[in-house]
Amino acid sequence: MTQRKALLLVGSPRGIGHSTSDRLGSVVLDALKGRSFDTEKLHVHAVMDSPAAFESALAAIGACDTVILSLPLYVDSFPAPVIALLERIAERRVGAGRVRFSLVIQCGFPEAKHNATALAIAERFASEVGWEWLGGAALGGTGGFAKDVGAVLAPVGEAIADGKTVPEVASSVPFPAWLYRFVGNVMWRRQAKKQGATRSLRARPYEG
Amino acid sequence: MPFTEPRVGATPGRPYDVRIMNALVLDGSRGTECRDALAALQQALADAGHLAEVIPLRERTIAPCRGCFGCWIKTPGECVIDDDGRAVARSIARCDVLVYLTPVTFGGVSSELKKALDRMIPNLSPFFARVCGETHHQRRYRKTPRWIGLGVLSQPDCEAERVFKTLVERNALNLQSERVAAAVVTPASDLAATTAALVKAVAE
Repeated sequence: MTQRKALLLVGSPRGIGHSTSDRLGSVVLDALKGRSFDTEKLHVHAVMDSPAAFESALAAIGACDTVILSLPLYVDSFPAPVIALLERIAERRVGAGRVRFSLVIQCGFPEAKHNATALAIAERFASEVGWEWLGGAALGGTGGFAKDVGAVLAPVGEAIADGKTVPEVASSVPFPAWLYRFVGNVMWRRQAKKQGATRSLRARPYEG
Repeated sequence: MPFTEPRVGATPGRPYDVRIMNALVLDGSRGTECRDALAALQQALADAGHLAEVIPLRERTIAPCRGCFGCWIKTPGECVIDDDGRAVARSIARCDVLVYLTPVTFGGVSSELKKALDRMIPNLSPFFARVCGETHHQRRYRKTPRWIGLGVLSQPDCEAERVFKTLVERNALNLQSERVAAAVVTPASDLAATTAALVKAVAE
């Protein structure tokens, strides 16, 4: 039996080892590792920064049968380097007709529903490039408030390993959104103080 | 009929109450795929008496957003990366109408346009607010542009069009734009009519 290969693409600028996207995607990847998948991780921003790394990444994508993209929501979609990579995959039709694809996405708002458009874009990508769309997991509150991220995301890995559609995961923060907003606003002020903000947080430097 | 002085900004042949607006067109094309749509859009804006600045993003150096939040908590309102991304964010803050022009890419926008949009977050405040029943960031500027999204497809694709229009509406909601209009065109589309309708929809 051929060894199954899964690739985690980390789409956060903070990269592997330093990002929530890596942490969340790794939960899914670890579930696959436990089911005898060969696993590998790549940082999308690093891949798009170097022609050699880019070609090597396309080869890795072409050689695997499962791709998991884990990333933060940026302006209702994916960070630009992720879109650039997907454009090039589509141009070359890498893995067409073979790769199965899933998404783990988290946003900085308490409501997971902000991720819906990005999930739709991922599904469109899969359809256009000829990958099998397995569905994805969407988390609010930067994915940091799920009581047990492992319990939330491990079933995603199990479903992928079993060749099934990913169970719908839309995990919003487990407390009222107004409280998230209130605490979040306090935290921004604290962080700005720590960073020694050079001007008021409400400054309007471009006002004409 | 009472005599009325033309208002500043009225253009010959146009009603006096038409306000001249400064439109900023972010051209997210990766090649020539949006050329005809851009020409039609510029004509529609000119016909309506509006001024247009076009930024061909593929010719600009805009590094990816680092996700460091420096633009919110270190140098509020300005990205810590000193490249063309700052000038684009400044133009967005000052325009009356923001126009996305992009090949529809998996239902979304191209990487060329997205690299500029990712660097637009300094124009928002870090503070949260409840908008339309969900959490968003507060506006940084008093004025927020009206919003046009014009996507280009090589052939009709209803699902891609639906996703694109939703994305434009969501983006406009992020900046709490009061008016938004979006359309997707193909080589079979009447570009002049579509672009004129978009301009009219946000100007009225």
